[in-house]
Amino acid sequence: MICENCKQRPAKVTVTQVHNGEHFERHYCEVCANSLHPFYVEYKHDPLSLHQLLTNWFNHTDQQPMQHIQKKTPLECEVCGWSIQRFLDEGKFGCASCYNSFRGQLPTVFKRLHNGNVAHVGKAPGAFGEKIALKKRIEAIRLQMKDAIETEKFEEAALLRDEARELEDQLAAGGEEKHVD
Amino acid sequence: MSIERFLDNSISSWMAGDGEHSDIVMSTRIRLARNLNGYRFPLAFTEDEAHKIDQSVSATLLDANEDLQMHFSSIQIKDLSELSRQVLVEKHLISPKLANSPMTGSALISDDEAVSIMVNEEDHIRIQCLFPGLQIQEAYKQADAIDRVLEKEVSYAFDEQFGYLTSCPTNTGTGLRASVMMHLPALTITKQMNRIVTIISRLGMVVRGIYGEGSEALGNVYQVSNQTTLGKSEEDIIADLQSITEQIIQKEREARNALLKHSANTLEDRLYRSLGTLSYARIMTTEEAAKCLSDVRLGIDMGLIKDVDVTILNECMVFMQPGFLQQYAGTTLNTSERDIFRAKLLRERLQQGEKTKTKGENSYDV
Repeated sequence: MICENCKQRPAKVTVTQVHNGEHFERHYCEVCANSLHPFYVEYKHDPLSLHQLLTNWFNHTDQQPMQHIQKKTPLECEVCGWSIQRFLDEGKFGCASCYNSFRGQLPTVFKRLHNGNVAHVGKAPGAFGEKIALKKRIEAIRLQMKDAIETEKFEEAALLRDEARELEDQLAAGGEEKHVD
Repeated sequence: MSIERFLDNSISSWMAGDGEHSDIVMSTRIRLARNLNGYRFPLAFTEDEAHKIDQSVSATLLDANEDLQMHFSSIQIKDLSELSRQVLVEKHLISPKLANSPMTGSALISDDEAVSIMVNEEDHIRIQCLFPGLQIQEAYKQADAIDRVLEKEVSYAFDEQFGYLTSCPTNTGTGLRASVMMHLPALTITKQMNRIVTIISRLGMVVRGIYGEGSEALGNVYQVSNQTTLGKSEEDIIADLQSITEQIIQKEREARNALLKHSANTLEDRLYRSLGTLSYARIMTTEEAAKCLSDVRLGIDMGLIKDVDVTILNECMVFMQPGFLQQYAGTTLNTSERDIFRAKLLRERLQQGEKTKTKGENSYDV
C-alpha cells in the first residue's frame, strides 16, 4: 500500500480516528504520519490518558468497572425511565433526576472521570448558595467551638454554640437569612 | 438583527488579534453547561419540552439587554440552510452538535459575536464566551454575569453534592470548560509537543489539535482546556489553566528563540516559501493552506516577515474552511473546485493585506 498523503512512499502507519462515533482509517508512510500526527504515537503509549480511559470504558472494552457497577440492583430513573445500564452505555444522563436515582453508584463513575473527586466545590445558584454557605459557616463555628473547649475557653465555646444553633434554625427554616439587627 | 451579518463577515471579535500574548494565544473560550429543573435532558426530552426551554431562556436573555449591556440575536437552527449552519460552526459560534439538532436547537448570539448561548445542545443551556488573546478571567467574568442573569429567572438543576447537573458526567460540577487556542509552531517543529501533551494530561488538563478531525493539529493550532469539572472551584480551574498556558507560552518563546539562533536561514527560507505559496499558488488544500498560514504567522510574530497584517491570517484561517468558501462563492463547490477557489481568495486577501493593511471586511461582496 502507498501512503495516502504523499502517494510516494509505502504506507507503514495506520491511523484510526474516531469522530462522532465513526471510525476512519488512514494509511501513511512514517514521514507523513509524523508530520500529520505529531503527537499521535505518544498517545498510544500512554494508556493512562484520561480520555482513553473514558473511551475504553464507555465502549465496554474494559469490562471490569462495568461489572462492578452492574452487580448492584438494576436501577431505573423514575422521571425519564433510563436504567443505570443505559447511562453507562450512552455515557450520558437522561435527566437531572438520574443523579438522584443513581446516587450510590455515581462516586465510582466520577472518581474515574475527575481525578478522584466526587463532590462539587465552587459556585452554586443563588438559593443553593446561601444554604451551602450557611452549612459551611456552621461547620466552621463547630470547629472553633471544639478548639475553644480543648483550650478550656468555655465561655467562648458557649457563645459559639449559641451562634451555631441560631444558624441551624435558619437552615431548618429553609435557608433564608433572617435579618436580625 | 438579521442573521446575514453573522454569515457574510468572516471576522469575529475573537479574531481581532489583540489581547495579551496574542502572538501565541489566539483566543480564549469559556463554556458553562446548565440545565433547567423539570425538563429531561436533550437526549431524552420531547419537542414540546425543548420549545418551553427555548422560550424561557430566550425571553430572559432578550430582556436582559440593560443588565448585560449587550444585544442578542435569536437564531433557530431549523430556519438555517445546511451551509449557513456550517458557516456558524466554522466561526465557532455554534457547535457541530447544535448544527445537527435542527428540530430543537437554537442560539442567541451577541452583536459582537463574543457571546453565544446555545439552547438545547447536549445540555439545555451552553453559555459560551470567546475572547481574543489570553483573557481567561475576563471571559469567565462575562459568562458568569450571563449565568447570574439566567439563574434569577430560571430554576437550574443543581445538587449539593454534585453541583450543576449536566447531561454528560464529564461536565458535572462546575459545568465549566475553559480553553485557550494556541499557535505553537516552534514547539511542533522542535518535536516537543508529545512531551507537553503527556505532562499536561497528568495535571487534569487536555491538549487537542483544532481545525482538524480528532487530534490532528491543523496549522499548529492546539486547544488546551481543563479536563475535570468536579472537586475544583471555578477560580482554581481558571488559575490552573492560566498558569499552564503561561508556561506553554514561555516554552514556545524559548523554542522560537532557539530556532532563530540555530537555524535562522532554514527557518526564514521555510517561512518565506510559505508566503510565496500563499501569494502565488493556484490550487490549495485546507492542509497546505493551514501549514502556510501557520508559517507566515510565525514569520510575522518573529519579525522576519513584515508588511502582512496578522489579523488577516486569523481571518484566512476561518474563511479557508469549506463552509465559508462556499458561502463566499455563493454556490456549492466540490473538493477540487474548493481548492482552486481557496487559492484564489488567499492570494487576493494577502495582496490586499500587504497594500492596505486594513481589515477590509466587505472585500468579497462580489
